[in-house]
Amino acid sequence: MAYKARLREFDNILNKDIIDLEDLKKLAFTGIPDDQGKRAICWRLLLNYLPTEKSSWSTYLKTKRDLYRQFIDEMIVTPGAKEVDGDVEDHPLSMNPDSEWQTFFKDNEVLLQIDKDVRRLCPDISFFQQPTEFPCSVVVNSMDVKRLHRRVERRVLKSANVERKGMGMTKIALSFKKANEDYAPMDEGQEAHWEVVERILFLYAKLNPGQSYVQGMNEILGPIYYTFASDPDATYREWAEADSFFCFTNLMSEIRDFFIKTLDETQCGINSMMTRMLVQLKNSDLDVWLRFQQLELRPQYYSFRWITLLLSQEFPLPDVLRIWDSLFSDEKRFNFLIYICCAMIVILRNQLLNGDFPLNLKLLQNFPPMDVQIILSKAVELSKKGF
Amino acid sequence: MAKKTYDLLFKLLLIGDSGVGKTCILFRFSDDAFTTTFISTIGIDFKIKTVELRGKKIKLQIWDTAGQERFHTITTSYYRGAMGIMLVYDISNEKSFENIVKWLRNIDEHANQDVEKMILGNKCDMDDKRTVSKERGEAIAREHGIRFMETSAKANINIERAFNELAEAILDKTAGRESGDHIDRVMVDRRQQASTSRSCCNN
Ligand SMILES: Nc1nc2c(ncn2[C@@H]2O[C@H](COP(=O)(O)OP(=O)(O)O)[C@@H](O)[C@H]2O)c(=O)[nH]1
Ligand SMILES: [Mg+2]
Repeated sequence: MAYKARLREFDNILNKDIIDLEDLKKLAFTGIPDDQGKRAICWRLLLNYLPTEKSSWSTYLKTKRDLYRQFIDEMIVTPGAKEVDGDVEDHPLSMNPDSEWQTFFKDNEVLLQIDKDVRRLCPDISFFQQPTEFPCSVVVNSMDVKRLHRRVERRVLKSANVERKGMGMTKIALSFKKANEDYAPMDEGQEAHWEVVERILFLYAKLNPGQSYVQGMNEILGPIYYTFASDPDATYREWAEADSFFCFTNLMSEIRDFFIKTLDETQCGINSMMTRMLVQLKNSDLDVWLRFQQLELRPQYYSFRWITLLLSQEFPLPDVLRIWDSLFSDEKRFNFLIYICCAMIVILRNQLLNGDFPLNLKLLQNFPPMDVQIILSKAVELSKKGF
Repeated sequence: MAKKTYDLLFKLLLIGDSGVGKTCILFRFSDDAFTTTFISTIGIDFKIKTVELRGKKIKLQIWDTAGQERFHTITTSYYRGAMGIMLVYDISNEKSFENIVKWLRNIDEHANQDVEKMILGNKCDMDDKRTVSKERGEAIAREHGIRFMETSAKANINIERAFNELAEAILDKTAGRESGDHIDRVMVDRRQQASTSRSCCNN
């Protein structure tokens, strides 16, 4: 009954007219129940998307969702679709910087990268290859003209006999399973979840031109969109695209620096995070730290990905969701991430103290399957030691 | 401590634009399989394979890198330690071929001067989508005095051969540095052989 009791605790917090974020964070830190769309609603709050006054939600959400709709209308342009006004001639070879065609071609370069990456998002589950119940109607009924992947299309690969499972394990599949074809586009009127993710990333890149799209952002958006698009409440599920766009944007505003090369050396950049992790490791487990020094096993080799992607490539999706409950509830945002990274290392200490460079690196880059609760408890323990 | 089960250790690096097939090439070589569903490489990945060349057990430590500009600072820090670099483009992607020059410049800036290089034109199974002819690949390799091969991770063409050739080239160099007449003599022969087949793809 502990689980029921937990659900009730969440209800108690969420049913108040004005939600106490502090209380919510305290509770959500220890994990949000998978049922009843609790995680989706909590993440909307924890990522500062939904305001705490519940009475304002419906108007607020409507404004945001309308705005998103407007982004789609304005930014997924098809050159030539607009009326040519006066003597401004636009054509594919135009050198005019305001040319819609110029923009179109420049966008396509970004799109090409996004397209490659969304087609390799969470290949170990089939979710992203499934059609969404709520396709974007202006896109899917455009005779493919507004489908983004159409703009950068190359032939879809056929036949694959091996697929990757989580944890770097591979499984030979029978020949009827044709992996990349699963990411094949849908018929008119339908679209797959990966196409939705592609559109969100594209809009984000358009709206943040300084940063644009960086590989790995797909892995940040993936779990958020998955959570929102599998909400049992259809009135929320229907808006998964718009809501995850804004939550993703908010989350990115906090971790954006990890993705920007020129900020690598700054205080919020990735290098400083890796340094902090290493200092913490030294405090938590001097032996392992010494061993790593001796082997010249640098944190860039393994923790660059851990931190940049908030561990989303290291664990199966359900575990990632659980870890993110804690990360999003972390008062000093992403301090706890450092403790988790250290915990992951400390838990493997016996193997790491005995392994050589390649063995250790392999182990760290392919973290062994384990109950994620063990890691989180260890991380809490390390954080309580208060270094 | 793990026991040493090899005679030599070579560090190799795979570079090239994103999506050209670096991860697939490495996976084909290390696990002899192909999958179309890799997650994108973030930062740097790592694999080990031991090969036997001329009676020596050689452990290849192979680093797979992310292609996008953002990751260059982190990936270029690995160039220095690399003894061999595979530079990959996609024969169906013009841009990835044009960028070979950029990658070569990167190597000049960051890698050891005597690093062994090899250019790979990957996805040669997709002849119907080809936009870069084999001749152009050969030409650029010749111009820079680098080995060249067309490969396919998917159809398993030339993958093992590419790694073996690169490893042999490094072996020639390493062995050349060792003292002893005997080795030196053999090496001279070897090197001549290597230079005649240099930058030509002979397949
Ligand atoms: N046809 C064909 N496709 C390939 C080959 N190698 C890789 N690919 C495909 O190219 C895409 C990118 O491959 P990946 O190894 O992830 O590229 P990376 O970004 O360079 O590591 C995937 O969809 C692969 O299935 C090949 O030899 N032939
Ligand atoms: Mg890769």
